Amino acid sequence: MRQAEDIILRDYIVSAASQLNAGGGSNGDNPTNLGITDFSLVATTLDTNNAYKFMSGIEGMDRFGTGPVRSAYFMLSSTELQTDFDGLTGSGFLSQWNYPTNASALPAEYGSVFNIRILTSSEAPVARGASMLGNDVYYNTVVGKQAVTHINQDGYSMNLIYRDPYYSGMLAQNATLAVKFAQAQAITQDTAIRNLLSTRLSSLGV
Amino acid sequence: MTEYSRMVKGNFTATSAQQIITLPFQPDYVEIWNYSIIKTAATHSVTRAWWDGKLNDGSNNPTMIELYSAATTSTVFDTIQTNGISTFAGAQMLQYGALYQHTGSTDFSISKASPAVVTTTTNHNLQTGDVVIFSNLAQTSTTGMQQIAEIPFMITRTGATTFTINWNTNQSNYTAFNTATSTNNVGSYKKVLYPYLYLPTVSVISAITTGSTTTISTTAQHQLHVGQEVGFRIPSQWGTTQLNELPNSVTPGSPIYGYVVSITDLQNFVVNINSSAYTAFISNQTFAGTAGRTFAQVVPVGDVNSGGTSITVGSQLYPPPAWSYAVQDDSSTINGPAIRGAFVNNTSQGFVIGNGVAAVDGTATMIASTNIVYWHAYLHDLGQP
Repeated sequence: MRQAEDIILRDYIVSAASQLNAGGGSNGDNPTNLGITDFSLVATTLDTNNAYKFMSGIEGMDRFGTGPVRSAYFMLSSTELQTDFDGLTGSGFLSQWNYPTNASALPAEYGSVFNIRILTSSEAPVARGASMLGNDVYYNTVVGKQAVTHINQDGYSMNLIYRDPYYSGMLAQNATLAVKFAQAQAITQDTAIRNLLSTRLSSLGV
Repeated sequence: MTEYSRMVKGNFTATSAQQIITLPFQPDYVEIWNYSIIKTAATHSVTRAWWDGKLNDGSNNPTMIELYSAATTSTVFDTIQTNGISTFAGAQMLQYGALYQHTGSTDFSISKASPAVVTTTTNHNLQTGDVVIFSNLAQTSTTGMQQIAEIPFMITRTGATTFTINWNTNQSNYTAFNTATSTNNVGSYKKVLYPYLYLPTVSVISAITTGSTTTISTTAQHQLHVGQEVGFRIPSQWGTTQLNELPNSVTPGSPIYGYVVSITDLQNFVVNINSSAYTAFISNQTFAGTAGRTFAQVVPVGDVNSGGTSITVGSQLYPPPAWSYAVQDDSSTINGPAIRGAFVNNTSQGFVIGNGVAAVDGTATMIASTNIVYWHAYLHDLGQP
């Protein structure tokens, strides 16, 4: 039900938040694919701007194959980049199943790199064929805690609307299930958000 | 007609052979009446047109029309097979038009000039205010104009096969580009169909004039208003890093903001920052090192974006929600919102009256400049036979 809200906010951030082109990758495009240094750069940028991190760190435990996780910002990325993230394993990427404990991991969380925990979604922003070399450009939105909000207008909170089939006629053909809301978006602290633009190294394999 | 159907009507005076109508929905049936032609018959002119979404089979999307063809004594029926009436959804991410690139009959070039001039071999069909992006502007492996690839540019139409973009390519690091002679004939551009989803947007800077106030030139429409607060993101290779909001090298942790004090035009505005002693802006970027280069940007910040309300009647501070398109004639969006601190949702949907010509007549379009046109649009409930 909240997918519409998410898409509105996604498109708003694509339009209004400033951008950082990835340059740490190896594919020679502009932006490049994501390299380890890009994660470090964007986290340092937000740190310098005094952004608040979303998540506390996860202390290391005596468990095989796991490693500690830093306190982190969230980054929303496309599922199409998951293979690229896997390719960074050993260079800094820690898969979610290699966390000491998954208690604080979100269902959409794919892993972390340095001070960034990565959430993936098929609804993440992609500008098809928009790069310097004509490849897809991914908007990896990195946010601090105080960066974005949405404002419900006039106390007009979300309504779930359901009208059963009989409502629209005796043949009972049509039912309605809908959601209605009025909201506005706002970037509350523009220095605490960056769209880290990147291309992709791996093929989609579809 | 049942309760869930939607219908809406309106009218307009045409300014060209094409018209976009924004609606709260995408219709599945549209009718238009060209009152001017119905009142005063004219040859090769359409009196009415109607379109049903069910005729759209994915590859053909015809519009049915009634028109005066070679005589004005009686009307005949015809169709428009291409660029007739169609629906659009200008929301949900960036959408692009077809690539314009090297083929057997099409090529384009970009000159070394300020502003740069793009010349196409066939009609580019763009209008002033349209936004395009370029890719693969490598004339050779080491020369060309890759520096401006990926940047959204508002175009200024100068002819059917020429337009300009707001960038100075008449500099030493740029080489004239032409898809007809580039290595492997690479190079393309495409139209950004809905470039301004929310307003105001982040803008790429093409030039900065320093002084007691600072003049900013952007590649696309900045959509700013007098009184708005802006911040800058200028990577070091672009020169004028002193404008940067953060980091502030003089006073760490203290953001620098500017206020828009005047709007020159759709792509130029003045902020109140005294930049007399600042480093000059460098748009003469090198071809090498383009990979991974971040562009200089200006972003709207603060609580006084387009969603503000005037302090007093007539005040230019905290202006109401509005946006500009091809000319600077601010008009309200259909979406609002109108609260302080919010951006304007400019996403839209509706239908387009295209400029396609009648299939048999070969000349007539649905509307023409100065025609008075009335329309009805419907979205029906279940329409299965």
